[in-house]
Amino acid sequence: MKILALVGTNANFSYNRILLRFMKKHFKQMADIEIYEISKLPAFSVDVPLEEQTEVWKLKQKVKEADGVVFSTPEYDHGIPSALKSAIEWLSYHTEVLKHKPVMVVGVSYGRQASARSQVQMRQILISPDCDANLLPGNEVLIGGASRVFSKDGRLINADMRDNLEKCFTNFVEYIQVFQNIDEEEVKMPIKRPTISDAYINFPTGRMTLKEVQQIFSTIPFEIDLVDSSDRFAWYSDKPNREHVRNVASLNEPITECHPPKAVPIVTKIINSFRDGEKDVVTRPLWMHGHRSLIQYYALRDIDGHYLGTIEFTGNVEYILNLFENGAWGDKPDATTGASNNGANEEGNTTAVVDASTGASQSSSDDNAAPSAPAEDGNDDADASTGASESGSVDADDESADATTGASQN
Amino acid sequence: MKIAAIAGSNANHSYNRMLLEFIAKDLRDTDDVDVIDIRKVPLFNENYKGKTPEVVADIDRRVAAADAVIIASPEYNHSITSALKSMIEWLSYELHPLENKPVMIIGASTHEQGSSRSQVQLRDILISPGVNAHVFQGEEFFMSNVADMIDEDGNITDEGTISFLNKCISEFKPYAEAINGMVAKKEAADN
Repeated sequence: MKILALVGTNANFSYNRILLRFMKKHFKQMADIEIYEISKLPAFSVDVPLEEQTEVWKLKQKVKEADGVVFSTPEYDHGIPSALKSAIEWLSYHTEVLKHKPVMVVGVSYGRQASARSQVQMRQILISPDCDANLLPGNEVLIGGASRVFSKDGRLINADMRDNLEKCFTNFVEYIQVFQNIDEEEVKMPIKRPTISDAYINFPTGRMTLKEVQQIFSTIPFEIDLVDSSDRFAWYSDKPNREHVRNVASLNEPITECHPPKAVPIVTKIINSFRDGEKDVVTRPLWMHGHRSLIQYYALRDIDGHYLGTIEFTGNVEYILNLFENGAWGDKPDATTGASNNGANEEGNTTAVVDASTGASQSSSDDNAAPSAPAEDGNDDADASTGASESGSVDADDESADATTGASQN
Repeated sequence: MKIAAIAGSNANHSYNRMLLEFIAKDLRDTDDVDVIDIRKVPLFNENYKGKTPEVVADIDRRVAAADAVIIASPEYNHSITSALKSMIEWLSYELHPLENKPVMIIGASTHEQGSSRSQVQLRDILISPGVNAHVFQGEEFFMSNVADMIDEDGNITDEGTISFLNKCISEFKPYAEAINGMVAKKEAADN
């Protein structure tokens, strides 16, 4: 069992440190106690920059790894020392490392009160909602008269106090085990409430929560609509200020119903060309709401190529075009050396890298564009999509259709 | 009456500091309010014995020069901020400007409770023997949902709040005068 023990003061000399050292040695068969010095932490402030929080991060890791945490607190002015309060603030600000963590409070003082008042305060703080720790109730370790009850070599020599400490620490270890043995399902079944906790979607390249997935779709500057393999409108991204305003009432409608009649033949043609494997992407530049937009339809395919549906990818490209028109990319870098010679913007030392994720489908969008892509790429780091997009990948058939019927796309 | 007003937060954006600045600038009957900013005060450490930081010595002088003290306390984890506790530890270690000083506690928070629990704790701390202040025990000023009550220029937008704040301070002043009179009498007798 791993226990983290925080010395509740930043003073060089402290009987609370001596107590924890004694506990570490005395209880070595029961637990592995690691003593942590809070003097290493910066003073808490919401304005401390992240790069100065390395030690805070380390402490949070230690708390996470520990089965339980012991706080040994002195008493300053009837309260816990500001240094200890500062440590607790770090452990409860934008973090939940103390949430449901078994914790125990002990304390030493010179006088008779034995830090009793600061221990009460410490307990109140630990059970406040921001900390939400599992505090060991009762089990008061009040060690007063510090200079008399400890030997010069740091042993607790008062027998009554030692017996009490042994009893209390044993109770703490048992208390920790109670929580370790809880079966989450057993706890939740009586409440009759289905839950999905820690629901992650595990991708081969990492995991995301459902919320993250949703918010990524709401954040990227393109809107996405999905028509599933049975040609029904299955989903749209909940992006603010959409070019195409969608409504949940349209969900699950066949494409023939959710599109204006004039647009249906074009849409059907595109989808059929995807299902047949004839095309993978169709691109349509359009004026929408007074600005230049780009709509791209992509065939959504399983890794084995099986048709899963069609996604419509729509974005206002005015910003990108303005960047281009203002020379944001500068001149094209020298592909043979990979070195910048014209002050062009580059990522690292390679040629400017365009988004890799759409490369495959885009390069096959236009019969003319695909072969040109490899030729453009002088080195391994360049992306196939660079070539395709530079050549202005537009489906010739649909371009003319859009120019006239663009307004009806909505 | 000269009032030292200590803002109990070290955050750059602090409603409690704004509240004190409002009192200093805009409240009637408050002629001389010195708002004390604790952002530069280092975390208290006993190891500094005999080496009080200059920023602390400066605050000590300003508190000592005041006839009364107002402390505005936020609430972190049901308790006062480590920054405010640190300030009080400095002012109860080698320096004791709060000793026998009349103090009024006020506070604001962005939630319903308005820092009430931290105010109770602060009272306990201020009357501990190491600090030994006289804490005003009349009105309690808890400012809830403060984000809706103070505008960007630091003005309290609610008239009722302003008049209650006025009432609190107008009751605190005679209390402070009485305490200072008692303390002066006692000091004269001791001499």
